[in-house]
Amino acid sequence: MIADFEYFAPKTVKEAVSLLSQYKDAKIIAGGQSLLVVLKQRLFTPEYLIDIKGISALDYINYEEGSGLRIGALTPHRAIEKSPVIRKYFPVLSEMESNVATIQTRNWGTIGGNLCHGDPAGDPAPVFTALNAKLKLVSLGGERIISVEEFSKDYLEVALEPGEILAEIQVPTPPPRTGTGYEKLMVMKGDMGIIGAAVSITLSEGDGVCKDARIVLGSAASVPLRVKEAEKVLIGKTINEGLLTKAGEIASREADPPSDVHGSAEYRREMVKVFVRRVARIALERAKEA
Amino acid sequence: MKGELKELKLTINGKLYEFKVKPKTLLVDLLRQELKLTGTKIGCLDSACGACTVHIDGKAVRSCSVLALQANGRKVTTIEGVADGDKLHPIQQTMIDHGAIECGFCTSGMVMSAKALLDENPHPTREEVREAIQGNLCADEGYVKYIEAIEIAAEKMRGGQ
Amino acid sequence: MGETFGGYSIIGKPIPRVDARAKVTGEAKYAADIEVANMLWGYVKRSPYPHARILNIDTSKAERLPGVKAVITGKDFGGFKWGWSGPTRDEEPLAVKKVRYLYEGVAAVAAVDEDTASEACDLIEVEYEPLPGVFTPFEAMQEGAPLVHEDRPGNICVEYHWNFGDVDKAFAESYLIREDTFQTPRMAKGYLEPPAVVSYWPDSNHVVYIGAKGSPYFPYRILARCFNLPLSNVRIIAPTIGSDFGGTKNDMTPADFSAVMLAKKSGRPVKIVTTQFDALTTDLRRHPMWITMKTGVTKDGILTAIHTKIISDGGAYTRMSPLSNFLTGICMGLPYHLPAFKHDVVCYFTNNPSSAAMRGHGIYHTAFARECQMDMIAEELGIDRMEIRLRNVIKNPKPGTIYETINKVHVATAGTEECLKKVYDAVKWEKSEKADGYKAYGTGYATGTYLSGTNLSAHNACAAIVRICEDGSVNYLTGATDVGQGSDTILCAIVAEVLGIGLEDVDIKRVDSAFTPVDPGSYGSRVTVLAGHAAINAAQDAKRQLLEVAAQQFGVKPEDVEIKNKQVFVKSNPERNTSWERLVRTACYEAPGKVIIGRGYSTKGGVSHTLADFSKGVGDIGTNYSFTAQASEVEVDVETGVVKCTDNNVIAHDCGFPLNIQAVETQVQGGAYHQGVSAALYEEFKMDKGQTINANLIDYKRPRANEAPMSKVIHVVTNDPYGPFGAKEASEGSVCSAPPAMINAIYNATGVWIKNLPAQPEKVFWALKAKKEEKKGKKKK
Repeated sequence: MIADFEYFAPKTVKEAVSLLSQYKDAKIIAGGQSLLVVLKQRLFTPEYLIDIKGISALDYINYEEGSGLRIGALTPHRAIEKSPVIRKYFPVLSEMESNVATIQTRNWGTIGGNLCHGDPAGDPAPVFTALNAKLKLVSLGGERIISVEEFSKDYLEVALEPGEILAEIQVPTPPPRTGTGYEKLMVMKGDMGIIGAAVSITLSEGDGVCKDARIVLGSAASVPLRVKEAEKVLIGKTINEGLLTKAGEIASREADPPSDVHGSAEYRREMVKVFVRRVARIALERAKEA
Repeated sequence: MKGELKELKLTINGKLYEFKVKPKTLLVDLLRQELKLTGTKIGCLDSACGACTVHIDGKAVRSCSVLALQANGRKVTTIEGVADGDKLHPIQQTMIDHGAIECGFCTSGMVMSAKALLDENPHPTREEVREAIQGNLCADEGYVKYIEAIEIAAEKMRGGQ
Repeated sequence: MGETFGGYSIIGKPIPRVDARAKVTGEAKYAADIEVANMLWGYVKRSPYPHARILNIDTSKAERLPGVKAVITGKDFGGFKWGWSGPTRDEEPLAVKKVRYLYEGVAAVAAVDEDTASEACDLIEVEYEPLPGVFTPFEAMQEGAPLVHEDRPGNICVEYHWNFGDVDKAFAESYLIREDTFQTPRMAKGYLEPPAVVSYWPDSNHVVYIGAKGSPYFPYRILARCFNLPLSNVRIIAPTIGSDFGGTKNDMTPADFSAVMLAKKSGRPVKIVTTQFDALTTDLRRHPMWITMKTGVTKDGILTAIHTKIISDGGAYTRMSPLSNFLTGICMGLPYHLPAFKHDVVCYFTNNPSSAAMRGHGIYHTAFARECQMDMIAEELGIDRMEIRLRNVIKNPKPGTIYETINKVHVATAGTEECLKKVYDAVKWEKSEKADGYKAYGTGYATGTYLSGTNLSAHNACAAIVRICEDGSVNYLTGATDVGQGSDTILCAIVAEVLGIGLEDVDIKRVDSAFTPVDPGSYGSRVTVLAGHAAINAAQDAKRQLLEVAAQQFGVKPEDVEIKNKQVFVKSNPERNTSWERLVRTACYEAPGKVIIGRGYSTKGGVSHTLADFSKGVGDIGTNYSFTAQASEVEVDVETGVVKCTDNNVIAHDCGFPLNIQAVETQVQGGAYHQGVSAALYEEFKMDKGQTINANLIDYKRPRANEAPMSKVIHVVTNDPYGPFGAKEASEGSVCSAPPAMINAIYNATGVWIKNLPAQPEKVFWALKAKKEEKKGKKKK
């Protein structure tokens, strides 16, 4: 049973951040798909709840060839999944969204709510990190931009300063000959991944040597984990099956996964090897076609 | 003030309602307890089972995971709003005719998820049908006849037999 | 599809359910939907310890909370204890001196709303002395282990030791002997509807209980004893029920007792709605069992003997563990010829929530072990796995004959052979090995059987009343309860078929013990067979009375008249006829006027049926038995261990005669490919010292539409003489055949045996890895 709280429903970003600066201990609710479960279990009893779901100004998907993708923080998962623009230019985002829980959750839950929840098992953060995305954070004092990578601080903890809300996700147009993939280990479709891997590979124009690789793991640490040593295995080389396998093994050593009801740490480490290899292969194929 | 009642205006099954509710009130509790629309069920606490599925502005959502106040100004449809008076919706009639319904506890949610699918996509693939009800747990019949019934209903709605 | 059986008007065809419309419109009322005027909300306070003495309970603060109308503790029940049967009454409605499992009920509150009731429970102060506990049978059996019940030495709940034929001699003469240990995990019943109850006292001598109970006559008797009331003053009303699968909704919970006592104390109706969390942490669950099976065969793979040793975890209270553990062995003689067997089962108390019946009850565990061993033995002997089963299977007894197993179980029909052959023909498996990158495919067979029309000693009576209303509509009263399996529909169909009228003319009254006749309940797959019998008898009784009137009208003998499609006619001269409605009107209104009431009760199987004897392991636990053969195809991701069931899945099911084709199919698909596959691949309660760690529907895995195989059901008809229209139970056997079919398929795909269910990805992964290392090791040599 949820405990009572005081409730505000701002209609604009300005209202929201003013309320937030006024009520320092307030909790923000967007789609509530993560938060309400927690409130029902009384793991959390906030005194003030600021409901930003009604801020329609933050529900948008804009794309411009030069600057890339801009997604409002209150865009529902389902809108991202079905957006023609995203399917065309950032298909990995649509694929990732199609496996986020189930349709009901995706219809109401928002991308911003998911990112701010800070669950290392969440799907969007690793993919946005692989895509080198940035976040726009807004407060009464103004706004700042940080990378998605820097946003995750610890398990369920994100780099939101007091008084700040996440307003926008900015995904740059990928460099030419870039391919990105994301897959997670699910028992049932829509499960949180036992392990997840997002990989982005950029190839050189002429010789097809790997110019850049970004490998980000979900459920492999207390935050979405960028495994840079594994990336180094691929960068500057002509990627072959052997290197993909090696990258997976190095990533496995970098990971520090938890043990829980869904899998032991040892199993997760093994799965890192499998998924880095598989997803890097997909990213490579896509980079070749790009 | 904590728990101070807030005004709520929304349309439910085509009718406009005004309430004063405690902010923590979930949409499912508003429907079941205030309006006695008990067709929407509560099967879990984990936003997992889908027995509470309703439509908000035509989209399937879990009413147990939506604050009633978040439905302010919106159109909500519940299972009670699907049939046209005594005339059942093709999805409902097909589920009966095809033998998809057993204990019935998941049925409201299944109908709502199926209707959201077919209202938007009259030609779903089998995969799309599965995906539409992936959020609806059924303990009894293993989904086969629900999937088949939805496909048959889709054909009926397109004007087929 | 499109097939029908038997040439009847209504049965033997797909029959849409009589309650489907109410369910599909949201009109059907389940227990949690029920409201009565002046109602209070109740809440149960539960123990935070799995094993502890209760030193003191102080309810004063709770009682003072505004809005609280009644507070109760275990003491309010005056020492009452209850259980599944007389000798097993070891449980209190609310714990008084000791709690034995985590979240056991210790107190309850009724208040003006649920929030207040819950808050009041928080204000009840309970002083506990935590005690060391035992959490597995292996801990429970240790010398000097803490006792769950002080008067039960060794923590032994129940044990059976049976011996048939000469097992030692049979083993000595066997060509091959295999011994393997298998494990079946603790499993949730899985009903989606968390139990709820509304109770009130119309006066101090009469109580009304409305709750989700598949066997309403259990609370009927238990509450009568608890509150010292004559049975006729206890009124149990059954709402629509959201499935049960044989457990909590048969039996009592702390919430049930609390609602009734709080209603008594407060003088107002009380409603308690439990949650899925309560269900997943405290409701009855399937016994975890460790099954060691030793099987002997001849060189041709013919079974010589089986010796099974089982250790099972009964949880904190006895409940129906005596039955659950008995059922593991009673049907060892089915579906294969078994000349000798030994059965040793010991069930232990532990400080876990109680284990009890679950679909496939008992037989499930040994069927799993045996069907896997059949494949293992087949491989060792180089015999085809279908062939070995065909060599051992009991052939369908010729009409008029009975097959008797070594432990005196009598079977008149046994369709396994036909099931096996039909499944073999239907399933489209290529002979060549299928593999696709990291995906391996495999196939597996298994057979299943289940008792049908359970006859337990003490209370088997089951009756029905057919009231013919003056306008020709029929009012049907039964004590049988539809928990979703479709019994309401089939009973109406039987009545309509016998009377010669339409299904829509029969209106079934759900259980209300003030008016409906007694019935043991929805367990042991008994409803179709036994309530079905009662239905036929009651309808025939009513029909006989009407035929007498018709006979008089036509001037013929009653046996010369027939009723079909609501037409009443003389058989030899159908032009002499009248309508059903007219006949009924004549019967009711023509002076002096009759009231046509048909009565019927179930008659057990004939001369060859004897009551089962638990201690000896003999006798007819069922009236008849269903048989299945299942073929499963799986896809294994050999790099991750994830197993999926493909659409290429077929099951052949012998339920004697499918009364309602649709219902049989959904039931069998649900049993074999939903619950069965779920048990094989996904479900398991993970426990930590009495605490359920995965007590939510995300972490406790259940398959959904995406994982569901679009399986096919083949009907095998054997027309059992002891079933209504030849029917036997449908689908409980399919729950038993599913897990071994899946495990056999996984072995076929990968070469690894997963002997402890479920075959979750991590388990399969490590097994595959171990096998790889083993191969490498062998190669190096």
